[in-house]
Amino acid sequence: MTQKAMITMQSLCKFYEMGDQTVKALDSINLDFRLNDYAAIMGPSGSGKSTLMNILGCLDTPTTGVYELNGVNVAEMDDDELARIRNKEIGFVFQTFNLLPRLNCLRNVELPLIYAGVDPEEREERAVEALVKVGLGERIKHKPTELSGGQIQRVAIARALINKPSIILADEPTGNLDTATSKEIMTIFGELSDAGNTIILITHEEDIASYTRRVIRLRDGKIESDSRR
Amino acid sequence: MKRGYRQFRYESTESLKMAFYQIKANKTRSFLTALGVIIGIVAITMMGTAINGIDRGFDKSLAMLGYDVIYVQKSSWTTMGQWWKYRNRPDIQTEYAPQINRIIAGNPKSGLIIAVPQSSTYQASARYRDRNLEQVFSLGTNQDYLQTASGDLALGRFFTVGEAAASDMVCVVGDDIATGLFPDEPVLGQLIQIKNRKFRILGVFRKQGKFLGLFSFDNQIIMPLGAFERVYGKTMFTSIRVKIKSQGRMAEAMEELMGIMRRIRKIAPGDEENFSINEQRAFKSQLDPIKNGIAVAGIFITGMSLFVGAIGIMNITFVSVKERTREIGLRKALGARRQTILLQFLIESVMICLIGGITGVGITLFFTFALGLLVPSFPIQLSFDLVFASLAVSVLTGLISGLAPAVTASKLDPADSLRYE
Repeated sequence: MTQKAMITMQSLCKFYEMGDQTVKALDSINLDFRLNDYAAIMGPSGSGKSTLMNILGCLDTPTTGVYELNGVNVAEMDDDELARIRNKEIGFVFQTFNLLPRLNCLRNVELPLIYAGVDPEEREERAVEALVKVGLGERIKHKPTELSGGQIQRVAIARALINKPSIILADEPTGNLDTATSKEIMTIFGELSDAGNTIILITHEEDIASYTRRVIRLRDGKIESDSRR
Repeated sequence: MKRGYRQFRYESTESLKMAFYQIKANKTRSFLTALGVIIGIVAITMMGTAINGIDRGFDKSLAMLGYDVIYVQKSSWTTMGQWWKYRNRPDIQTEYAPQINRIIAGNPKSGLIIAVPQSSTYQASARYRDRNLEQVFSLGTNQDYLQTASGDLALGRFFTVGEAAASDMVCVVGDDIATGLFPDEPVLGQLIQIKNRKFRILGVFRKQGKFLGLFSFDNQIIMPLGAFERVYGKTMFTSIRVKIKSQGRMAEAMEELMGIMRRIRKIAPGDEENFSINEQRAFKSQLDPIKNGIAVAGIFITGMSLFVGAIGIMNITFVSVKERTREIGLRKALGARRQTILLQFLIESVMICLIGGITGVGITLFFTFALGLLVPSFPIQLSFDLVFASLAVSVLTGLISGLAPAVTASKLDPADSLRYE
C-alpha cells in the first residue's frame, strides 16, 4: 500500500540550552506517519519521547529540520497559527486527563469547538455525538468529579475526537488507570483505529504498546527501532 | 472575517462564564480583592454627591435672592478682601431708587423694570411682652419690595403706598418671628416692640429656609423705609434692588444700570465708578474654589485607594495565573490563541472590579438614602453621571491591573504549562 505520508519529519532536531551545555533532546529524527497509522512511541525517560510528542502535537517547534503535517511545514509557524493547527488537526489525550473540573462533560467536550468558532447549537450536537461514541451518552451533564477515572479518560477522548482531527495524540493515556480500565480505554482506541483514525500513543508499557500496529523506540534522542506488524 | 468575529464572540462568552465560575469558587478572595475598588468607588461617589449637594443647595439659596434682581451697593460681592478700596466710597442713598425709576420710565427700550430702595441691619431685636428675639434682620423699603423678592405672604398683606409714604409703624414679618413671638396667639394685628417703638404686624411671609445655611429669610422684619429710619437713623447699610426684564440679558441690564448710576453720581467718562453692581451669580464664583478643593481631595483619596486596589487585583491575578498554569496549557493545546487567554484574564479582573464598583455605588446609595431620611434638609444627590463615571473607572482599573498578568498568561509555553505541577 503506497500512500502519501500524513506526517513527515526530516532530520528534525530539538536542542535545549542547559547552562553552557547543549542537550540534544531529539537528534536528526526521520519519521513518517500515514493515514490510519496506529503507533506507539516508546522509550525510557529522557529518551526524548515527550519532546517528540510536543513537536508532533504542535505544542513546540523543532530547533532545525522539517515537520510537515498534511503537506504544511509546521516548523516555521507562529504561536497563533500553531494554535489553529492544534485546534483543527490534533486531538490530545493526556495521562492526567486535564478536564476542567468546574465544567460538566458536555462543556468540557465542546471546548475545542468554541475556539473553532462553531455556533452553540452545533457545538452541543457534536459534543453529545462524541460522548455517545465513547459510551457516555448517559452522563453528559455530570461533572468530572462525579466520574470514575476510566469515564474521565473517555470524556477526554470524546474531546479529542470532537473536531475530527487528523491525528489523535495520546500521552500515557492509561498511566493513571488500573489494568481493567486500561484495557477498556485501549479497546476504544482500537475501535477508533478501525474507524479510520490516525492514532499515536506515547507509553512505556509493553502491553499497552502491544495493542498498536507499529512500535517506535527512542533512545537518547534517536530512533532505535521502528517496527510494523 | 465573519468567522473571526463569531469566534471572538463565542470565546468571550466562554471567558465571561469562566470568570463567573472563578469568582464564585473563590468568594472570600474575590471580595478581599475587590475591597480596594469598593473603597475607592465609595470615596468617589460620596465626594461627587457632596459636591452635587453643595451645588444644589446653593442654587436653591440663590433662587431665594431672585435670579432677576441685581443690586447697587457700596462694595462688590466678587472682590472681597479689598475693603480699603470700598471704604471711602460714598454711601448708597435711598433717593437713587426714584431717580433710577424716572430714567427707566423715560427709556421704553430699558432692560430694567423697577428699582426699590432698602436699608437694613442685622442687629435688630423684636419683643412681645416677655418674649424677646435678638439678631433679627430688619429691613426698611417701599411698597414695591415684593416685586423684587422671591417670598410671598402666608398671612395678611404687605404695606400700601399710603402706609409707605406716611412712614406708618407697620411691618411684615418672617415665619420664625411670627412663631417665635406668637407661638399660640394669632399674629395679625399684634403690636411688637422694636427698639422703643411699637409696630403693627400686617402680614407674615411663607417659610423659606436658610440662605447658604447661614442667613435666614424667615428671620426678617420688613417695614416702610421712613419707619425704619425713625428707629435706626439714616446711616444704616443701604442698597438699591433692581428687577430686570430678562435673565438672559443680565449683562446688558447691568451695563444699563451702570450707565444710569454713573449719571446719577455724575462720574466723568473714564473715571472709575464709586459703587458696585452685584448679581447673585457672583456668589457662584466664590464657591468654585471650595468645590475644587473638595474635588481635588476626593480625587486624591480615590486615586490612592484605587491604586492600592489595582495592585491587589494585579497580585491576585498573578496568583490565579500561576495556579491555573495547567488550565492555560490545556486551553492552548485545544486551540486557544494568545488573545483568547489574554481576554479571559482581562475579563476576570474587569469583572472583579466591576462587582467592586457596583458594590461601592450600592453602599453610597444606601448612605445617601439613609442620610436623606435622617436629615431631610441636607442637600444630597447621587447623579446618574456619577454612577456611570464610577463604573467606567472600575472597568478601567480592572483593565490596567489585569493587563500584566493576562499578558504573562497569554505568553506561557503550552508544553511547559501542561506539565506544570
